[in-house]
Amino acid sequence: MLIEIKNVSKSYVMGEVEVPALIDINLQIRKNEYVAIMGPSGSGKSTFMNILGCLDTPTQGEYLFHKTDVSSLSDDALSTMRNKEIGFIFQNFNLIPKLNALQNVELPLVYSGIKSEERRERALKALSRVGLSDRIHHKSSEMSGGQRQRVAIARALVTNPGILLADEPTGALDSKTGDEIMALFDELHKEGNTIILITHEQEIANYAHRTIHIKDGMIHSDTMNKVRNATTATIQLLNS
Amino acid sequence: MQYEENIRLAIRGLVDHKFRSFLTMLGIIFGVASVIAMLSIGEGAKRAAIAKYQDLGVNNVIIREKKLSDQELEEVRAKFSQGLSIQDANVIKEVVPGVVKIASQSEISTEAKYADKSVKSTVIGITPEYVELLNYKTAKGDFITANHYERNLKVCVLGAGVAATLFRNEDPMGKMVKLEDQWLEVVGVLESKMLFTETVGELAARDLNTDIYVPLTTFLKRFTHENTLESEIQQITVQVDNSDKLVETSQLIEAILQRHHFNNSDYNIVIPYELLRQEEKERQIYNFLLGAIAAISLLVGGIGIMNIMLATVMERTREIGIRRAIGARKNDIMGQFVTEAVAISITGGIIGVILGVSLSLAVSLFTDVETYIRPYSVVIAFGFSVLVGIAFGYLPAKNAANLKPIDSIRYE
Repeated sequence: MLIEIKNVSKSYVMGEVEVPALIDINLQIRKNEYVAIMGPSGSGKSTFMNILGCLDTPTQGEYLFHKTDVSSLSDDALSTMRNKEIGFIFQNFNLIPKLNALQNVELPLVYSGIKSEERRERALKALSRVGLSDRIHHKSSEMSGGQRQRVAIARALVTNPGILLADEPTGALDSKTGDEIMALFDELHKEGNTIILITHEQEIANYAHRTIHIKDGMIHSDTMNKVRNATTATIQLLNS
Repeated sequence: MQYEENIRLAIRGLVDHKFRSFLTMLGIIFGVASVIAMLSIGEGAKRAAIAKYQDLGVNNVIIREKKLSDQELEEVRAKFSQGLSIQDANVIKEVVPGVVKIASQSEISTEAKYADKSVKSTVIGITPEYVELLNYKTAKGDFITANHYERNLKVCVLGAGVAATLFRNEDPMGKMVKLEDQWLEVVGVLESKMLFTETVGELAARDLNTDIYVPLTTFLKRFTHENTLESEIQQITVQVDNSDKLVETSQLIEAILQRHHFNNSDYNIVIPYELLRQEEKERQIYNFLLGAIAAISLLVGGIGIMNIMLATVMERTREIGIRRAIGARKNDIMGQFVTEAVAISITGGIIGVILGVSLSLAVSLFTDVETYIRPYSVVIAFGFSVLVGIAFGYLPAKNAANLKPIDSIRYE
């Protein structure tokens, strides 16, 4: 099991009141699953994503990633987890504006202490995977939204992380570009990546193979989607 | 870790915001420049002082005739004092312990003539010990020797200024110079001396380059003072074996002379080394003050850096969030921002060093003030600028490192 979440709760202290954001969540995600997490704003969806992405730790419960308990890790160890195991893809891309595409993609490898030649080689590979080999020296201001998101995906892929964690990845894109990005996710999934998609759009969630609804800080439903093609079905069967 | 990366980023940051970085650096630039300029001026003054006192000999006690008016002179003579005499020198040499050498000198001011040229000069009759007591070197020939002295030879050694005026391009060696009504053969020319422009204690300022030295024996035989009441010699220079004994020795000399001059104080006793020490003490206070000004200037520079770094961290909250999300540890962020602050201060430091060095060179070129840049002062000034960068970059960098990634990544 890649991810095991056991009785996880998260609450925030606002003044003197404790506000629960997540209540007793239990969840398991296997390697190479394609999961959509849905929920209206204020449902605890973002809090859940932060915990999954090791940006935050739960107040209670256990979060096992590859059998290591992430909930008790130090700040440095969490940073290393994010660096090695999580590939973030954000709604607004979150590229560093003054760096070009190549430098942005290299950045996670800088923090894992990899030498510059290897960094460059791996970043070039990731960029060519997302189809941007001809844009490596462009800054984000010189690229379209779709291209920026591809750079962000390349940056997420470059460390070969355990999961790709995409937070509304098409939220800032027009629907045609959005479809292209979702098609890219499909391919990445077929190549063996585990993808967790956070979205509030049913249409986007439909790309995933499993949908988890969160409401009022609890899992409301957890269903398998109708499989759209045979290949993905086979992979799912093999995995189960 | 990734120092190169941090350094590259920091340099990029500087280049991307040239004007802002420059303004931020100004404090450091002026701080470092003033440290270097001030230290170099202080050092120049110190060296000039040391050179000046070295000419007088740091192990010497100088007894000099007091300048008296004719009337005062008559009064003193009426009270039985004969003024400074060779006899005084002999007594000191015999009685005072720790005296290594002693030299008497007698002086008159007169014109020196050669061919159709003449120059105002001070003719000084000296004993052979003189050259060993004072830090004099000849550019040509010899100084007055025991042979010249014992045989009352009519020879002279010219100061560099006198030689230059009288002989221009001619070689003065072996030529005859006319002093008063005497012809003397030139046997040596002194190296050019720094102008003795300041009054040291009771010793009046004078130009050593206009001196002409002759054997004291010859002097006493051939030249006479204008005023017949004038004492036999004008100065006795006493060399002591240990500079710790200077004060003690001078007190003893004072006691002896008082007795021999029947309580007439028609002489002054000067200890160049003591004067040097006093001057150094005064300068220390002055240096401390200059140091404080430089420190304040560096402090202000540091605050400037802190200010801009705090703003930079605010401005780049989102970037910090992104970096944290993709795996930067707190220390990585910390390192990045401290490196940036240090890059600003180092660049400021380098510009400051260049400015400070040019400033002190300009001062010594265009004014009479001497400057000397000691390498250590450059190292100190530069080192301080780096320290300022670290010290004042620390807090903003700490702030940056402590930003929560979840909050900062959504910061607009």
